[in-house]
Order: sequence, then C-alpha cells, then structure tokens
Amino acid sequence: MESKRNTSVSQQRRRVLGGIGAAGLASALPLSLHAQPKAVNVGVILPLSGGNAQFGINSRQGIELVADEINASGGLKGLGGAKINLVVADSTSTPTNAATVAQRMIGENDCCAILGAFASSLTLAISEVTERRRVPLITMSYADQLTGRGYKHVFQVTPKGSVIGKAQFDYAIELAGGSSKVNKVAILFEDTAYGTSTASGLRAAAKAAGADIVMDEAYPLGITDVTPLINKLRASRAQMVFPVSYLNDSLLIVRALRQQRLNMPIVGGSAGYVIPDFAQALGDYSEGVLSICSANYDLDTSMTERYRKRFNAFMVHEAVEHAVSLDVLAQSINAAKSAKPEDITQAMRSQTFKDGWAKTMTNGQIKFDESGLNTYAEPVMVQWQKKELVTVWPSKYAKGKLIQRNV
Amino acid sequence: MALLQAILDGLMLGGVYAVISIGLTLVFGVVSIVNFAQAQFLMVGMYVAYFAWRHLSLDPLLGSLLAFAVVFALGYLIQQQLIRRVLKAPEVAQIFLTVGILIVLENLALIGFGSEFKSVQVWYQNESLEFFDLIVSMPYAIAFCASVVAGLVIWWVLAKTWWGRTVRATAQDPMAAKLIGIDPDQVYRLAFGLGVGLTAFGGAIILPYLTVSPSVGEQFGVLMFTVVVLGGLGNVLGAVVGGVCVGIIQSVSGLYLPLQLQNLVLFVVFILTLALRPEGLLRHKS
Repeated sequence: MESKRNTSVSQQRRRVLGGIGAAGLASALPLSLHAQPKAVNVGVILPLSGGNAQFGINSRQGIELVADEINASGGLKGLGGAKINLVVADSTSTPTNAATVAQRMIGENDCCAILGAFASSLTLAISEVTERRRVPLITMSYADQLTGRGYKHVFQVTPKGSVIGKAQFDYAIELAGGSSKVNKVAILFEDTAYGTSTASGLRAAAKAAGADIVMDEAYPLGITDVTPLINKLRASRAQMVFPVSYLNDSLLIVRALRQQRLNMPIVGGSAGYVIPDFAQALGDYSEGVLSICSANYDLDTSMTERYRKRFNAFMVHEAVEHAVSLDVLAQSINAAKSAKPEDITQAMRSQTFKDGWAKTMTNGQIKFDESGLNTYAEPVMVQWQKKELVTVWPSKYAKGKLIQRNV
Repeated sequence: MALLQAILDGLMLGGVYAVISIGLTLVFGVVSIVNFAQAQFLMVGMYVAYFAWRHLSLDPLLGSLLAFAVVFALGYLIQQQLIRRVLKAPEVAQIFLTVGILIVLENLALIGFGSEFKSVQVWYQNESLEFFDLIVSMPYAIAFCASVVAGLVIWWVLAKTWWGRTVRATAQDPMAAKLIGIDPDQVYRLAFGLGVGLTAFGGAIILPYLTVSPSVGEQFGVLMFTVVVLGGLGNVLGAVVGGVCVGIIQSVSGLYLPLQLQNLVLFVVFILTLALRPEGLLRHKS
C-alpha cells in the first residue's frame, strides 16, 4: 500500500516534470508546433469513494494505463495526434449522483464518450443520460437491461449478467464432473442490479440442469453481519454455494463459511471474488475459491503485465475491460477521423476490433451487435491459486489445472 | 435449535451494539448534545486499531485500548475547541456542528487512508466455538466478552468512583454541581472523550470480523440512534438493553424473513416503542 502510494506520487511528479520539460521544449521550437490538435475529452465515471471504491480505483488504473500509452505514442492518429484527456469523476455509490455527473460531463466538459461505471446500478443511471444526449457509453457492467432496452448508444464489452450467471453454474457443474455429482445448490446474492441479474442466470441454469436450489437468498449490499445467512446455508445442506457479492460482503461470507467449517466448494460471481484485496484479506483461506469472471489477466499476459509493472498488482478484470473500453473508443475515433459522438457510435458498430487491448478478451476480438453487446465475449472460470487468479475453464482458455481444497 | 442459535448470535451482536451505543447515550446524557458524528468515531477507532495491527503487529483487542486512548484525546479536544461553543446555542447550530464533524472526519479518512476496504488477519478470525449443536463464531464471542468487560468498567466508573459521581451530578443539574465545586466544563470534556472513546473501542473490537473503510460509520449511525432511543436517551443501562434487543431482533427476524427485511422488523418495533413508550424501554433514571 505504502509503496503503491509512493509510486503514484513519483509518477505524478515525473508527469509534472515531463510537462515542464515539454513546455520548455515547445517554446524553443517554431510556432507551427503550438497548433497541436485539440485534446479529446473522454468522460470516466466510477465509484471512487463509498462501498465500491476499490473496483472504481482498479478501473481507473486500467483506463489511465491505456490513455498514457496512447498519449505517449503520439496521440490519436486519426485526429492528427490529438491527446486523450480523461475527465474523471466520482459517482460515489449512488445512482442519482452518477447520472448528475454524466449530465455535467456532456454538458460542460464536452466529453465525446463516457466510460464507466463498474457497478450496474450506476451504469444504468448513466445510460439514461447518454442515450438522451446521443453520446456513446462504453461499459463493462453486467446487468442485462443495459443492452436489453433497445438503446442505440450503449456498448457492453462483457457478457450479460444472465449469461455470466448461467456460466457460473454450468462451468462449476462441468468442473465437478456432471450434474449427478452436485444436486443441491445454494444461491446468495447482493440485491442491486448486478447481483439480481447474475442470480437470475444462475437460477435458470440450475433449473435447466434439474438441480435442487435449496437456498436462494438476496441480502442488502451494506450487510455487516452475515451470520443469519450462513446459518441458513448450513441448515440447507447445499453441496455447492454460489455467492454473488462485492468485496466487503464476499470477505464476510467466506470468513463465516470457514468459521463454521462448511467446506462445500465456493463459486463466486466475479466482483468481490476476483480482486487482489480478496486474497490479501483472507490469506490462505482464499486458496481454491472459484469464481466466474468476464475476463482474466492470464489470457494475454503480454498486455496485462504492463499493468502489474506500473501498479504492483495483477490486472484485475475490471481494469482489463476498462482498458479495452478506452482502446476500442480510441480505435473508433481513429477510424472515423472524428471525435463527434455520432461518428464514434457509427465506427464502434461497423468494425471488428482485432488489435490492441481487444486481444485480451475471450476469442481475442470484439464486435458489437445491434444492441451494443460484444458478441465475442464469453465468461471464464478462475480459481485462486497462491494468491493469483488462474483460468481453469473452459478448457480452450484454461491456463492451469483445477486444485481441490481440503479444509 | 435454530431459534436458540439465532438468539445466541443476536446476543453476541447486541453486546457490541450496546458498547458503541453507551458512548452515544453518555454524550447525550451528560453533555446534552446529540452527536451525529458518533459513528464516525467508530470508524476512527477501527482505523487506529487497523494501523496498530499493520505497523505494530498489535492484535485489535489490544489495539482497542489504543483506539480508546487516541479517540478519547480527540474527543477531549473537540469538546474543548468546538462543542463547548455551541452548548448554549440553538439546537440547529449543534446539529450543524456535529454533522459538520461527521463530514470532515469521513472525508479526512478518505483523503488520508484511501477508500479501500481494509481488513486485519488474526488467528481467531476463522475459528468458532461449538457446544452441543450451537456454533458461535470466535471473533463475535471475543468482541462480546470485550464488550461485557468494557460495560462493567464503565458501570463501575460511573457508579463507584468520585469522578463518576461528579459526572452524574453534572448530568442532573450543572448549576448545582458548580455550586458544590465541580467544574462542569472539565466534566463535559472528559465525558465527551469517554463517550466517543468507548464507541471507538467498540469499533476496534469488531474489526476482526468486519472491514474498515471511511464510510463504515454509515452502517452503524442509524443503528446506534435506534438502540439509544429504544433504551431511553441518556440512559446507560437502557443502551445495554436496547443494544441486546436490536441484536436479537435482527438475528431472529433473519430466521423467518428475507434478510433484506431485517431492518424493517427493527424499525417497526422502533416505531411501536416510540408510539407506546416514548420514554424508551427503561424509564429515565439518572
């Protein structure tokens, strides 16, 4: 933590010094160089404080990495080397705030597109604003409604929540060796858009597989005591548990499970189960925990290791997907040779992205369909092994073997 | 059996609610100010214990004493520098001040410590006690025991020591207390420090089973006020009864209703109490 803060400070300092150096250089050069093309403002709305702040920070780091790389290598080629200027704002964890911030970014900051906002409930609120103002919104939030309402300006780089929930169940059963091995399952989920959306996919998959859902329980996001939840789980005699949680609740749930010596496999629903803080807080107790995820850094380490080098942590999926979001935006601006929102929207729709960060996603490419959904996106199953996340399923993406945990 | 388990869990939870709420009720009863920032002192206490664990390898149980000391001093200063000025001011000014302290503390924590959830690792965190078919999570049990000890110490201080008597005398009638040579300002400073310190202590002992972030207080603020009003504002014993009631109501309602309705049941009971027994479950004694 200390070291992380130090690097960011020194980076800032370096950036400032670089800026001064560049200014000095520019004044020494002929006037023509002063006519740099106008920087393109890209709005970034993320929960940087409140309950989901950790995810917001990870996401911002992914975006900063790409923005700095593009700017350092000559800016946006399609606009004569214009720089990307990130306008970052905190949505807190309240949807109304997120919408207000989006209004301001479009109205006052002249943002050509918006990236964000990790939590589905926030992104949904933003999408109403961006749709009205016809500004593209590129997101990695999961909720089905995002691309399910016929909106023309929203782009979802990840699979939908219900698809992720279905994969969470199906993959887990495949890994366990078929539905004959596991027939009693429990679903626990936080009750905002992300949890409900994922849980509905889980539920449908479990029903389709003929499994017995012995517990299906929503809980409020700010939960401070999960004991009643875990007591119910123990009484339900489930053989496998599927919790869909953000960070704080995921820690409480896993700890309570370990306390009660409940050793059924835990198959998390992304978010809280796949960030470095999870393993940091739980230590050895995180080993072997499975989670579904919409991307993983081990799919293409040639890109994601650059993040580790700069931020001293593995590139968690929301950082990958936000990096991807900015990169496809930049590629679209280059292709359209314009930073007008309507031109960007059109360019986003009319091409298949095969270069740059798109390679880190499943199938190595991205194509948005009519609804704005990335048709190549597929969930993957990851497992905690020695404090790193290893993709273990489907077999075509697997980078390591599933380990069995004995509590 | 499930009911017994739920009651037991509720008792563990309620013990902690009691300790953090005694702090709030003490501040109200003695200093006569409603401290809206009380839950943020809980957050400060959690951070003190967290950093004590992180840098000094101090178990949060010992860290809780440090948390108490640090926040006691902080409370003493806040009373001396800020709250003292609004004691005779209109209530609106008092509300502005304590809500202001709430906002400042939360944002200072955000600037200073970042918005990440921080969590300690201790050996008893993933342990539990089992007898017959009942399971009690170890960190809850430890927090409960620490709460009982803290509650007894507070009771002893208030009931048996000379200083406790000056506090009670000041709470009853500051003017009369002054006449017999007690300095009410000094009592206020100590009482405010003690009140927020106790809440910080409570924050530190629950750290092993929770995580700390600048906004953690929000989860406890309303709960603390419910406990205190339920037991009777300014009544220390009432806070204990209120805390245990709230814990058990939350835990037992989780047995029969969806978890999301946990606080609904709590507030229905709360509203009924206000309607039928506005003075709180225990009659106000001084």
